[in-house]
Amino acid sequence: MRLRPIYAVLERELVRMARQRTRLVAAMVRPLIWLLVIGGGFAALAGADYQRFLVPGVLGMTLLFGAMLAALGTVYDKESGVMRMMLVAPLPRAWIVIAKLLAAAAAALAQALLLLALLAALGYVGRGTHWALLAAALAGSSLACAGIGVLTASFSRTLENFAGIMNFVIFPLFFVSGSLYPVRELPALLHWAAMLNPYTYGVDLLKHAMQAGADFALGLDLAVLAVATALAAAVAAWRFSRESAYEPMIRAVLGPSQ
Amino acid sequence: MNAPCASGIDTRAGVRASGLVKRYGELAAVDGLDLDIAPGEFLGLLGPNGSGKTTTLHMLATLIRPSAGSAAVAGFDVTREPVQVREALGLVFQESALDRTLTVAQNLRFAGLLHDLPPRVIEERASALLELFDLASRRHQPVGGLSGGMRRALDIVRGVLHEPRCLLLDEPTIGLDLPNRRRIWRFIERLRARTGMTVLLTTHYLEEADGCDRVVFIRKGRAVESGAPRELVARLGRHILEVEAADLDTVFSRLEARLGAGLRDGEVAQFRCADEDVADLARLQADIGSRATAWRVRRPNLNDVFLWVAAGKVLH
Repeated sequence: MRLRPIYAVLERELVRMARQRTRLVAAMVRPLIWLLVIGGGFAALAGADYQRFLVPGVLGMTLLFGAMLAALGTVYDKESGVMRMMLVAPLPRAWIVIAKLLAAAAAALAQALLLLALLAALGYVGRGTHWALLAAALAGSSLACAGIGVLTASFSRTLENFAGIMNFVIFPLFFVSGSLYPVRELPALLHWAAMLNPYTYGVDLLKHAMQAGADFALGLDLAVLAVATALAAAVAAWRFSRESAYEPMIRAVLGPSQ
Repeated sequence: MNAPCASGIDTRAGVRASGLVKRYGELAAVDGLDLDIAPGEFLGLLGPNGSGKTTTLHMLATLIRPSAGSAAVAGFDVTREPVQVREALGLVFQESALDRTLTVAQNLRFAGLLHDLPPRVIEERASALLELFDLASRRHQPVGGLSGGMRRALDIVRGVLHEPRCLLLDEPTIGLDLPNRRRIWRFIERLRARTGMTVLLTTHYLEEADGCDRVVFIRKGRAVESGAPRELVARLGRHILEVEAADLDTVFSRLEARLGAGLRDGEVAQFRCADEDVADLARLQADIGSRATAWRVRRPNLNDVFLWVAAGKVLH
């Protein structure tokens, strides 16, 4: 098993992230707006505890957006020369998918840790936080989100799909989860939708760790995240290795053959 | 990996294809191609647009799967052992395979790590190769800021960083101006002199293929002619007669009757002449008289071979 290629993809992702300051600032500002502005506003309706409830949700939001955007970078890679470099490397095709998944998870994790430091500085991380569980929750959720990301990327050929992915994948995953409200309080239809959303269980795990009113058992959260990650990775790797899905992409990457 | 060197050419560095076919629906882009490239050989794959050159290269590089036939690079089968094939070869695409947002050094580090090279080895080889390709001073510059010629040079550095036994170059000088094309060729020459690697290239610029040990012309996905450039040119004939005329149809058929099959290339007609025909030419010219607006006899070159082969005429 070769680890250097995986490391190469991971390193490139982090170098790119560190360079893209605006992406990083946006990744910090977006959750803080939710927490401070929207959370602050709704606290007037739902009570002062709402902001505390929202902390795991915005942490998860950073993971979800960070991992999805990084994984969707694969689509950018397809259009630039980077995918060509990866395709000629002596790696099984599935390896590229795994490397991209890990890199996206690492990028998301780095952003979440940065946000966590900011939240702690602002006094939003409670004394009751279970740190080991929080670490597991961040790691598990970032992997699951990255898995969903590479799966989505394996279905989209061009960057033009990007707005569509934002509206039809990222937003629904976020809104139909327990990020903004307790799942058990949701009306039946939304409740079921949230239960089918693997991201729900990542947020729930964060709630466990930060003692913010979790909906499901710890074991269930971990199991769903593990299965979702493995399944998403397997399908993405399969699509990427499969001739019929992969040749049109090769042609898109390489330009028309002559 | 055993690094091939100029003194001992790696015997496992050859390329072999037999009956290679690639079909896209009804269209056969490559249609039963046979190729046999000796280790250390410098082979040019020539042919008009759409003749299957790039598709062939992509099959050899395991990027696309042959519909039929087989091919091996450095002794590894392209369908059964794709990872080993990719390890043995370097590929430079028509379009750049670089990350424009990263620097020269970061790109090479990325490419090297993808090939499982230790960082120290990447550093050493990158330094040596950047020196060889006149890019040493650009090391820490983002690739997006390099000129087209430099980017192509860097692309080749990227392609040979892992010291492949065989290098595939797809139109390495396309889109470059003449000075840059010459530079790229100098680099490839230096590289070959230093490593003795097998090089397979496709090109449109026929004068560039003159340096190849051997060229293979392909047409409609099949190899139609092959040989050393000088030998192919000699096979075409001793002289080429070029004629321009207002009423080219009449002139063409009259000359064909005397000189054998000719070639129409736009406003110009071309005929192959042996030494013994030359004496006749003066008489022919007098015969055609003022109907010809231009009348030139010159030595043939590889461009002529290309035109004749592209027109589907067999050389004798």
